[in-house]
Amino acid sequence: MEEVDRILIHSLRQAGTDIDEDVQSVKQFTSELIVEAVVRCLRVIDPGLGSGVSTTLPPGMSARFRLGMSLAQACQDLGYKGEIGYQTFLYSNEPEIRSLLMFLVEKLPRESAEASDQPAGKSALLQKAIAAQIKAQLALPWLPPSCRLPLHCKTQSPGPCHSFRAQPLSLPYSLKAPSKKQAKEVKEYWRVHLLPVTSQPSQHASVPASLLENHVSELSAAQEWENEWNSQGLLSRLTPEDYRSRKRARLQKRIEEQLRTAAQPRPDTHGATRSTSDLTELLNSFGGTATGGDILTKGTRFTHSEKFTFTQEPEKAAQQMAAAASALPSSHQSEEDLKAKQEAELSDLQQQLQQLSVQMEEVGGDIRQLTVSIHQVSDELKQRELSNSEKQDTVKVKKQTIDLLPDAENNLVKLQSLVEGSAKRVVHLASQWEKHRAPLIDEHRRLKELCSNREMESSMKLSEIKDLHDKIRHSAEEAKKKESLYKQLITEYETLPKDVSRSAYTMRILEIVSNIKKQKEEITKILSDTKELQKEINGLTGKLDRTFAVTDELVFKDAKKDESVRKSYKYLAALHENCTQLIQTIEDTGTIMREIRDLEEQIETENGKKTVSNLEKILEDYKAIRQENSALAAKIRDG
Amino acid sequence: MELSDSVVKGLQTLADPACFDFRAFTAFTEVAFDSLLSSRTDRALDLPELKKIDQALLKHCHVATTTFILEGIKQNADKSTISSCLEDVKFDSERVDAFYTSYQKNKRNLESLLSSIDRCPPHITDASWRLEYCMKNGHVHNVNQPTFLISFNTEDGGNEGTSSDVNFSCTLEQLQDLVGKMKDAAKSMERATQL
Repeated sequence: MEEVDRILIHSLRQAGTDIDEDVQSVKQFTSELIVEAVVRCLRVIDPGLGSGVSTTLPPGMSARFRLGMSLAQACQDLGYKGEIGYQTFLYSNEPEIRSLLMFLVEKLPRESAEASDQPAGKSALLQKAIAAQIKAQLALPWLPPSCRLPLHCKTQSPGPCHSFRAQPLSLPYSLKAPSKKQAKEVKEYWRVHLLPVTSQPSQHASVPASLLENHVSELSAAQEWENEWNSQGLLSRLTPEDYRSRKRARLQKRIEEQLRTAAQPRPDTHGATRSTSDLTELLNSFGGTATGGDILTKGTRFTHSEKFTFTQEPEKAAQQMAAAASALPSSHQSEEDLKAKQEAELSDLQQQLQQLSVQMEEVGGDIRQLTVSIHQVSDELKQRELSNSEKQDTVKVKKQTIDLLPDAENNLVKLQSLVEGSAKRVVHLASQWEKHRAPLIDEHRRLKELCSNREMESSMKLSEIKDLHDKIRHSAEEAKKKESLYKQLITEYETLPKDVSRSAYTMRILEIVSNIKKQKEEITKILSDTKELQKEINGLTGKLDRTFAVTDELVFKDAKKDESVRKSYKYLAALHENCTQLIQTIEDTGTIMREIRDLEEQIETENGKKTVSNLEKILEDYKAIRQENSALAAKIRDG
Repeated sequence: MELSDSVVKGLQTLADPACFDFRAFTAFTEVAFDSLLSSRTDRALDLPELKKIDQALLKHCHVATTTFILEGIKQNADKSTISSCLEDVKFDSERVDAFYTSYQKNKRNLESLLSSIDRCPPHITDASWRLEYCMKNGHVHNVNQPTFLISFNTEDGGNEGTSSDVNFSCTLEQLQDLVGKMKDAAKSMERATQL
């Protein structure tokens, strides 16, 4: 029973009952404890049933009675078959309570056991980790800074702090091109002059930040490329290099267009000229990098002219500067004069500018008109040329017919034969063409089919590749998940208390099972023994009866003749009767013994029920109720 | 642990016995850890063991190794993660063990190095108080109110551990409110441990 009690107490503790350490068996349960345990179990099993009942016994007797009744009702609702009533809780006896608690513990939901198989959520894990960390920190006493040991430094002092400051690093490898293609100078730089990355940043504190930042940027670039390649690149059916170069060209074109539209000189912004010239320069540099630098050696007309203007510009600027400088020392006039002069000059210049712009607009309009008219004229010219050539053709034909006219008949025959010959030739050629054409068409069809087949195949393969990619990703994710779960379970397993050895329990269970088996065997043996004995007894009684009957008959026959035999017959009868009596007595003794044993058992169970103490309790409670009643009655009377 | 291609390449070079023999490998890993922790690293790679290796390759390996170490510390990688990562880039078990022992040796310092990339509010190191009783002031003749002058001594990690004072005054009720809130905070902290 100890084993059962320990398991019961353990499960009750898990259900939330506060059981003292020194309570080892159900025998030691008090009424209060029983009520609390039952109510906690009820709450766990069915919150609706248990929530209406308090976990503590109320002081009033009638309230206690009511609580007991409701608890008994709840237990019966759950399906408890045994005898139960308020007395079970108030005047407990051990076996009843044990069976009731066993029933309740069996009814407890087993969620907790199942939940441990599922991976705990990330947040739960995190919370556990946080709780453990806080516990560890709380365990350390707080010390003022002057007394701190290195052990405390990590958690109790803020320590030196730096903000995350990443600096660009110069790396001894290139992400874009394999190292073999690098220029010799670059390699030389890497080998001789490049500092190790850890001494590149200006402050040593930003080394880790820079390294981490660099790594993350590389990773994210790779990831982005992967995503793009999987979504668009594969479908384009190009090699990665082709795809990249094509994309680069596309982007460059777009940027160039954008910049060109932005660089269009606008008449309303005077200050834009400088920035636009910068932009055109930028555009040029774009072109330069796009074609790989050969523009410098070859050069287009555009770049030449640009170069020309740009080389001229500094000279111009220098001239202007010189002019300004020469103007400066000669300015001996008063400031006002200077100002007035400048203003006059300014207005003059502005006027000039306006005039010039007006002229420009006029000239621009003229140019537009002229270009339109040039277009028109060139169109006309083309049309004229067309009609001219047509006319020339007709003139040629007519000339030939006129030449043929004098010898008309001969020429007609000749012409007819010529026509016939050419017709024949045409037919011949057509038949030949047909001959050639048929196989060619067949070939064409065949090739077309082949081509479409290939295309189908390739698209199928593409979709397969995509599927494979998806699968790979999925399985990688799953593997990661499983791995983390495995780790978590291992840590959990390590934290689990080791003393609850499963094998010991199973061993004990196996022992119990074997014991039960042995007992069963013994019982069957005893049963068969009893049966045999019964049989023997029956056989013996039968034999006895038969022998008695035969002897009786024999002796009775002789008894009529002989006196001594009659006497012996009498003895025989007496003997028989005595023997039956003896047997009867023995049987009676057996039944009485059995009765005695039954009674003894009953006495034991009654003793176990703590009847005396319970009776005393009942008496006390009865008195308490009577007192309560009388108090109530007195109150009513007073009221 | 996710590693970029360049890091993987650098580590593969490091794992190659034709490039780094074991002596050079151990010297190199020591240098990598030291270069992260100490600030004078300009000539760190000028070791006699590493003389015969191409300097550009050496520098590449250095970038890869330092990055790998920092990532490992950042993600609090345990032995199985580190060794599986290194085995993926073809480290043999001897090198993995050598690397892991240095990793373990320097882990604490590196952790504090990474956790120093932070910005934290000043920590309180001491508190002192004074009771002030105001009887009257220039405007009111009869004030008769006690106030508390509280001074917190704080320590700021951002400015190399300089300490500064936070001063304020409060009435009794305000002080009680403050104390109550502090107690509440401590209590919730304890509750948080009992999950």
